[in-house]
Amino acid sequence: MTGAALPIASSARTCAWFLARLREHKLEVAGTAAAGLAAATSSVVPVTALGRLVDLVRAGAPPRALLPIAFLIAGAALLGGVAGGVTSVLVNRLAERILAALREQTVAVALRLPATVLDRAGRGDLLSRVGADVAAVGRAAADVLPTIISASLLAALSVTAMFGLDWRLGLAGLAALPLYLLALRWYLPRSAPIYAGERAAVASRSQLLMESLQGVRTVHAYRLERRHLDRIEEASERAREMSVGVFTLFTRFVGRINRAELASLATILVAGFWFVRAGWVSVGETAAAAVLIHRLFTPVSEILYIFDEIQEAGAGLARLVGVGTLPVAPVGTIVPVVPDLTLDGVSFGYESGVPVLGEVVLRVAPGERVALVGSTGAGKTTVASIAAGILRPVSGTAWVGGVPVDQLAPGVVAIVSQETHVFAGALIDDVRLARPSATESEVESALDTVGALDWVMRLPNGMETLVGEGGRPLTSAQAQQLALARLVLLDPQVAILDEATAEAGSAGARQLEESAMAATKGRTTLLVAHRLTQAATADRVVVLEHGRVVEEGTHDDLVTAGGRYAELWSAWQSRSRVASPLRTCGDVMS
Amino acid sequence: MSRDVPPNILRRALVRNRWRLVAGSLLVGLHQGCEALVPIAIGVIVDHAVATGSTGRLILWIAALAGLFLVLTAAYRTGARQIMRAIADEAHLLRLEVAAKVLDPRAEVRTGDVLTISATDADHTSYLLDYIPRITGALTATTVSAVGLCLISVRLGLVVLIGTPLVVLALRRAAPRITHRVAHRQEVAGRASSLATDLVTGLRPMRGIGGQDAAAARYRDVSRESLRVTMAAARTQGTFLAASTTVSTMLAGGIAILAGWSALTGHITVGQLVTVIGLAAFLADPFATLATAPGWIASVRASADRITRVLRSTPVAAAARGQAPLTPLDGECVGVVVTPDAAAFTELFEDGSPDVLVVPHHPDLFTGTIRENLLRGGPVEDALRASAADDVVAAHPDGLDHEISERGAALSGGQRQRLALARALLATPAMLVLQDPTTAVDAVTEHTIARGIRDLRHRPGSRLRTLLVTTSPALLAVTDRVVVLRGGIVVATGTHELLAATDPDYRAAVLR
Repeated sequence: MTGAALPIASSARTCAWFLARLREHKLEVAGTAAAGLAAATSSVVPVTALGRLVDLVRAGAPPRALLPIAFLIAGAALLGGVAGGVTSVLVNRLAERILAALREQTVAVALRLPATVLDRAGRGDLLSRVGADVAAVGRAAADVLPTIISASLLAALSVTAMFGLDWRLGLAGLAALPLYLLALRWYLPRSAPIYAGERAAVASRSQLLMESLQGVRTVHAYRLERRHLDRIEEASERAREMSVGVFTLFTRFVGRINRAELASLATILVAGFWFVRAGWVSVGETAAAAVLIHRLFTPVSEILYIFDEIQEAGAGLARLVGVGTLPVAPVGTIVPVVPDLTLDGVSFGYESGVPVLGEVVLRVAPGERVALVGSTGAGKTTVASIAAGILRPVSGTAWVGGVPVDQLAPGVVAIVSQETHVFAGALIDDVRLARPSATESEVESALDTVGALDWVMRLPNGMETLVGEGGRPLTSAQAQQLALARLVLLDPQVAILDEATAEAGSAGARQLEESAMAATKGRTTLLVAHRLTQAATADRVVVLEHGRVVEEGTHDDLVTAGGRYAELWSAWQSRSRVASPLRTCGDVMS
Repeated sequence: MSRDVPPNILRRALVRNRWRLVAGSLLVGLHQGCEALVPIAIGVIVDHAVATGSTGRLILWIAALAGLFLVLTAAYRTGARQIMRAIADEAHLLRLEVAAKVLDPRAEVRTGDVLTISATDADHTSYLLDYIPRITGALTATTVSAVGLCLISVRLGLVVLIGTPLVVLALRRAAPRITHRVAHRQEVAGRASSLATDLVTGLRPMRGIGGQDAAAARYRDVSRESLRVTMAAARTQGTFLAASTTVSTMLAGGIAILAGWSALTGHITVGQLVTVIGLAAFLADPFATLATAPGWIASVRASADRITRVLRSTPVAAAARGQAPLTPLDGECVGVVVTPDAAAFTELFEDGSPDVLVVPHHPDLFTGTIRENLLRGGPVEDALRASAADDVVAAHPDGLDHEISERGAALSGGQRQRLALARALLATPAMLVLQDPTTAVDAVTEHTIARGIRDLRHRPGSRLRTLLVTTSPALLAVTDRVVVLRGGIVVATGTHELLAATDPDYRAAVLR
């Protein structure tokens, strides 16, 4: 991954977030804990009941004395089973609901982020967070709560019983506790970074896979399958080594726990040995205490392992919560009265420090159509993005009707760019993305405006035809017409078209130009165009070179003026082969 | 493609990891055996040391206990690592197989689904290697305990030997339901993942029309659906857990009660009763494992099925491919004006031959430096100049080492297009097919590129062939001849100048 990766929340922040969610679901948490407690209690009952059975047999009770114990065990089994099942359902319910809300929030934030942030961080990373990370957290969450409750209960019962035998034995039993804590202290700081690394490696694996899939035609054309598979393999291997590495560490942690177990067992036996000699306790009491210590092994180690799962889940959770920490610009609310578009001394540069725009001044009057032309790389797209509020200028401001673009209500300005995307699903829903409440006839009329209704109606299911990935493939021109139909449906006061007709390639482009004209009719329009036929029909033309406005005027005036535009125009008409294009690089922007 | 797919990827997982699996299972078994010896050791120490008060014996037996723990720890550590390695390897191999399958030319799989399948389902399938040792361990423990019980009372032993399989068989009946639920859950999760992928991929166009709220709402709907299905699966699994816990507790409790009755009626001694109760308590764990196992296996199977479906997906019919309708002569540069579908025409040239490079109209760049994207290590200046991409490199302070972010999204369309063209030129294929390679550049640059392609590939004496599928007059002007195809039929052919001068249809098609 290049550039700035998406943020990962600190553990304190993740923790605070998690506690806040638990507080939100107080009742459910209480209900889940109660069910867990019932399940844990029921699992302890048979153990005590069987102890009672031995007493009965020792006392030589009649066979029918078994009945109450049998009923008790059967009842406990039934209750324990049901409570266990209910706990598992409730825990899943709680965890999955919190996770669903989290992934929805994550996606919602991601969709509102500046596009450049996701470009730099990589979309695969984000998708890995809402996919693999959510799954990993969900899996751990389903384990943690039931185990914590039942293990704590069992441990508490055993410790109480040990102190019940003799307080000195009880103390001896707890003597090894620091060893357990040391094991935990040794393990957690070592495993945390590996878990975080594992999640990151998984993300980069998904990202590579995604990128290869989306560029699969290029991959095939250049026979890059091997190369891409190798890169995926490398990332997958890294993730695998991380998992194996953290598990190796875990087995060493288990070794330390075993050592603590040995120490606790040896302590109680040796202490019992001396206590018996001193006459403080009986041999039977020592034996009972040792058995209790042994019975503690399972719940104690389960509790310790839970820390491991919490840590693993925390690594995933921190990545999800992290996206939510990104600042999302508040949605503006102002609808301007006069929809004129003004760029006022706008400068821009990407992070590499190379300036892209310098002091661009531009005005589009209400209802005017202005074409922005210039060589490729002159900064036209950057101007369009700033005007649309997608990019924030380093200095200067873009205004609509005297309101900075980032304070405008949604739907005042819209941009259709050269990058087309047909959203998977019914065609009508694709167009409705602009205005979900639009009726069928409104969508129909939007399609009609851009001249797409004919071919749409010829599709097998009309507007309900599935398009996009996995659906019916559309040509570039059709995809761009859908984009223009979205614009019509949205009905913005200001429309920005960034090469919206270029990608169609050839024959389709002219038809698209008509669609674009129809879609922007009556709107304040900024038109970025390589196809100069569009510039020729615009009210005014602005020529941008090396990030600066070099010419401005009507098409006819500029052609007559014989400047840069005239040069472009004659090249466009193929009347001349321009020998020395105005593309010397580097020095102009100082 | 499907010939390589084994009929049963689960069986293959067992076979290809058999050594680690066997070694791991044996060592984990040894570990469990040692764990079972610990309570016995406690009894021995109490009897021989604590009760006798002999310091020498205490030291001896505590040392023996330490030895037992040493073996126990070592066996677990070695065995568990073997199994973990096998799980990690298997998941890794499955993932690579899925990746190789979807990158296989012309195999078509939805990308969002692939992410879920390669991440979650590969993991779930590999857990089989974790479950198998657990199940074998549980079976061994049950068998050993049953034999122990038989030594005390044949009746008790038989209850275990007959009861256990009955219980497991009964619980297995729930398996298809669980498999179905889990498969459904994964499928809907895949749908949510697909949608997220789709929305994030179309982020720019969506943001342009302010569709982010509608898109977020759409994702929320699918996420809620996924939540609903996940909950349904959790309910099924919860019900199963309730049944299996109840039944296994009852089985263990029943054995103890039965033993109690035998003891009360004088058939077995109190000491034997204590042993039976100990065994019954010990049996609760393996019982629970065996009772839950059908659920595990069911969810493993659900994931394995999803992977198998990807691996078996048949390639799209390749019938129309490989019949290049037009072949330039050696050293010739041919322009083709195609209506209505230039993309379909271009695809006809994708015959898999190493001499032919067909560049799609939307070529992709990938994460990495510009140089890595150009796919050539040597001098690249000529090709960069020919594709007018030299200023893309110059625009970044670190030049060719500039890191391009995912899919080159931070570059402008024109910059992407020119770098992709440079990459195509650098590949120097004997035959190069380009479809509309200059749609995102201005007219002046387009001329530069047209000349550049001509100069680089068609110097006097060059045998390289180039096919330009385009309606750009700037590009067509540098070709040796132009072929006009309408609906797959050649309607005109000649030089650009001649056609432009004599053919009004041609003029309408190319002279904008």
